[in-house]
Amino acid sequence: MAQLGLNNLHKSYGAVQVIKGLNLEIGDGEFVVFVGPSGCGKSTTLRMIAGLEDVTLGAISLDGQDVTRLRPADRGIAMVFQSYALFPHMTVAENIGFGLKLQKTDRATIEARVGAVAETLHLTPLLARYPRELSGGQRQRVAIGRAIIRDPKVFLFDEPLSNLDAALRVQMRLEIARLHQKLRATMVYVTHDQVEAMTLADRIVVFNEGHIEQVGTPMELYDHPANRFVAGFIGAPAMNFLSVKTTGAKAEIPGFGTVDLPDDKCAAKEIGIRPEHIALTQSAEASIRGEIELVERLGAETYGYVHVAGQPNNLTMRLSGDINLRPGAGVGLQPDWQRVHWFDKNGNVL
Amino acid sequence: MADLSPSGRFNPWPATIFVMLCVLAVLFLLPTIGVLLSSVKTTRDVAMGDLWSWPGSLYLGNFTEVLSNPAVHIYFVNTLLVTLPATAMSITLGALAGYVFAKLPFRGSNALFLVIVAGMFFPPQVILVPLFRLFNAMGLIDTLWPVIIVHSALGLPICALMMRNFFATVPNALREAAIMEGATEWQVLTRVVLPLSLPALAVLATLQFTWIWNDFLWPLIFTQSDDKRTIMIGIVNLKGQYSVAWGVQGALSLVASLPTLLVFLFFQRFFIKGMTMGAVKG
Repeated sequence: MAQLGLNNLHKSYGAVQVIKGLNLEIGDGEFVVFVGPSGCGKSTTLRMIAGLEDVTLGAISLDGQDVTRLRPADRGIAMVFQSYALFPHMTVAENIGFGLKLQKTDRATIEARVGAVAETLHLTPLLARYPRELSGGQRQRVAIGRAIIRDPKVFLFDEPLSNLDAALRVQMRLEIARLHQKLRATMVYVTHDQVEAMTLADRIVVFNEGHIEQVGTPMELYDHPANRFVAGFIGAPAMNFLSVKTTGAKAEIPGFGTVDLPDDKCAAKEIGIRPEHIALTQSAEASIRGEIELVERLGAETYGYVHVAGQPNNLTMRLSGDINLRPGAGVGLQPDWQRVHWFDKNGNVL
Repeated sequence: MADLSPSGRFNPWPATIFVMLCVLAVLFLLPTIGVLLSSVKTTRDVAMGDLWSWPGSLYLGNFTEVLSNPAVHIYFVNTLLVTLPATAMSITLGALAGYVFAKLPFRGSNALFLVIVAGMFFPPQVILVPLFRLFNAMGLIDTLWPVIIVHSALGLPICALMMRNFFATVPNALREAAIMEGATEWQVLTRVVLPLSLPALAVLATLQFTWIWNDFLWPLIFTQSDDKRTIMIGIVNLKGQYSVAWGVQGALSLVASLPTLLVFLFFQRFFIKGMTMGAVKG
């Protein structure tokens, strides 16, 4: 169990700066998820914490101790790789016990600890098998077993579920959550899947182009995004963005007409509305009208894509599962103005 | 084979190619068949010009003579003394170099790799005289050392090339996972990467063993006395006083090619693919 600190962390490859000064404190036993689009630097940051990438500038501390220049194995950190990285010529038991064997632990101890780890991860019947004889989920459990056997201070997960099919991903997500509850270990988890981020994280760190956009609990990021990037990245389906033209205390939104501008939103250039914050009303009475272009039924809920005259993009609406809608139907829209996010010209929330 | 096209016209090419390949195969096999035939005939039979006929009786005297000749024993021992260390040395150095070039690249490593691989394209005759003078100055002429050293060095480029290319197919994540577990680079190589590279090692061991075992040039240049000669020179040395001992030479040629055959049979079970299956996704 440990506190992890990143202090003004930089990483460059030649002239290309990929990490531009990160500062982050991760508490003892906390589950922190790094999310962001491809190439945003989240995996590079994780690899720097692991010690697999050199730090160009800045420091990484573990329990107050500077570990920036320490060898990976001396940091007390374990990592689960996206590709599992199991040794194909070793059995499950040998894979899990590999680190202990390198430390020259005696055989009886290795066997006992491998047995205990296998018990935790339901791998006991598979100990004599080779990785090629396992399913994807079993391989991932072996990789996790190899990480937990050395009792590390910090666990790092580099997109561990991205190679699994959808059903298995949900199951492994629950197992990882259960593992965190059981071990109470500090975990850092990289993913581009925001469902994983929202469900697993104590806190989410949103990365973009080598820097941190926002850090917060899943609901903080969802309800109070700091800027347009976070607002657009967190939440599926994504937030609807509409451009705004302000004149005095009025805001004109194409297709939405003119609305009164709240006092502190005078600099607004854009608004964001979550799909569940637009309600359907009777078309005849509504001030905002649109036409249903596409309906996606997911069972419990339905996504409606609505074309509003004057808006370049369709608006996405989250509706109840049993709603009766057909493409081409005219509908009235009622945004929940209390929950609309207002952004200035730099994309920051007002 | 002859093949009827949909229109029903006869296409002569498959049949022609098949016949040509058969002729080529026979041409390639003829010398071996000649050696085989001569080894079971008396020298007199062969001298009478009766090489290619089927032997009336199986004469094994040539083999007895070869196997009971103490000089042949020395040739065999010498060849082993050259082949085993030189094969081991070139593969070891090749594996170490290949690992660095595949997994631990540094500034200029690609250029250095090209320089090493370029060594393959030098004909041995170009470096023959300087090497002779060098080893002569070192007092190593007429020992087995120059043969071992030269073969280790000449084998390095192909070994480094093959090992680098094979190591490159071993996923980097495996090395990183081993390092996270506390492995040193040496342990990564010996416990993770090499055990996964048995097919490449087997191919190289077979190639190098065969090449060094069958070499004629370097032992001819660097050794002089009969008790330092290797088996391929031994075959030439077995010629009779007044005539060529075809039968004895044929027998020794066959005996001398047995070890390479055995090495091939021993290593061929490692010539398998799919060792890295299950390491990463999929």
